[in-house]
Amino acid sequence: MSDVKAIILTHNTLEAKGLWQLLCESFDIDAHIGNENFFAMFNSSAEPDIFFIDQVTLVANLGFFLPRKAKTVILVNSNIVVDDMKTLDVTVGDSQMISDLNAILEADKKEDRSSSMLSAREIEVLRLIAMGYINKEIANELNISINTVLTHRKNLTSKLGIKSVSGLSFYAMMNGIV
Amino acid sequence: MALINRDSKLSEVILHDPSTITVLDRFGIALGVGDATVSDSCAEHNIDVNFFTAILNTFINENYFPQEALAKFSATEIVDYLSKTNDYYERNVLPNIERHFAFLIGKAPSHNNNLVLMRQFFEEVKTELSQRISHDREHWFPQVCSKAQETQPNTALEVNIEDIPNDAIEDKIDDLINMLIVHLKGDYDHNLGYAVVVAVLSLKKDIKQNNRIRNRILRPISQALTVGNE
Repeated sequence: MSDVKAIILTHNTLEAKGLWQLLCESFDIDAHIGNENFFAMFNSSAEPDIFFIDQVTLVANLGFFLPRKAKTVILVNSNIVVDDMKTLDVTVGDSQMISDLNAILEADKKEDRSSSMLSAREIEVLRLIAMGYINKEIANELNISINTVLTHRKNLTSKLGIKSVSGLSFYAMMNGIV
Repeated sequence: MALINRDSKLSEVILHDPSTITVLDRFGIALGVGDATVSDSCAEHNIDVNFFTAILNTFINENYFPQEALAKFSATEIVDYLSKTNDYYERNVLPNIERHFAFLIGKAPSHNNNLVLMRQFFEEVKTELSQRISHDREHWFPQVCSKAQETQPNTALEVNIEDIPNDAIEDKIDDLINMLIVHLKGDYDHNLGYAVVVAVLSLKKDIKQNNRIRNRILRPISQALTVGNE
């Protein structure tokens, strides 16, 4: 599942369920349908990446959505434009809907295409992990803080897709790092 | 596929998801299922229909996990299923992956040490899984069964179901798959390479589904039994 999180807030149940299914099945997005408690329970640490809302929800919560304009999509019943906000026409057919959604999500993708190449520092950390060093020893050896070591480890795991210490060690051996 | 129920045809279950063949095998059901339904087959093999459908549905649907319903089954029933699952890993899956690795490495040019390292990593996963299986067989499972026998039948257990941390074996299998798919280098026989990947992927699916039963059903039951008997 992708790590894009979407919230659907609309008074139209069929619309919500249909969009939820499209997002989950065709786009592999972690989508949730919010209920009336959404704003009361809202916790900014779990801020979604994208909101799909109907116009009623928009009008009732302008103060919430205006600052989040860039990641809010208004569900509309025709090809109308709502100020300069993103809209999704819910009356179109299957293939048009998929291509509209695709356009919205593509534009929304974070500019997070950083190279999967390891930096010199990451290679150094990887080498020490493979040699059996624990975080504290790595921090000492490289004169960096434990938090920096943890950040490097997180980046290693996300760049290589390898979580376990032994997996990282074998990767290091395969690539001549140790 | 809709959830499997007592009237579902076994042949349709298998056609929908062929990996269920190995689950059916653990219940003693072999290929050549004819047009038997789930309940026909359960009657013939003396299997509890509810337990059988719960296990199959859990196996097929990633999102389906009837935690409360599963926790009501008897501990011995669950232990029996998980023991057969362990046997299946030991007798079939692990030797199968080893065989595929042996073919792959046997046919690869000798300078490709990538594959040898991958096999070593797999051996490490295998050792860890085998240790877990022996511990289950010698300690955990007998303990759960004897506690279950001491407990009055139908005693309501205080089953405490919490989120469990990541499973180290699952993590390592994920790593192995990533290394094969993303990081494999050098010359090798592609066909034999796919065979290794497919074999490891099927182990991954099986472990993942059964870990849910193991960690989220049997573990809380076993803890509740221990507390109940103290």
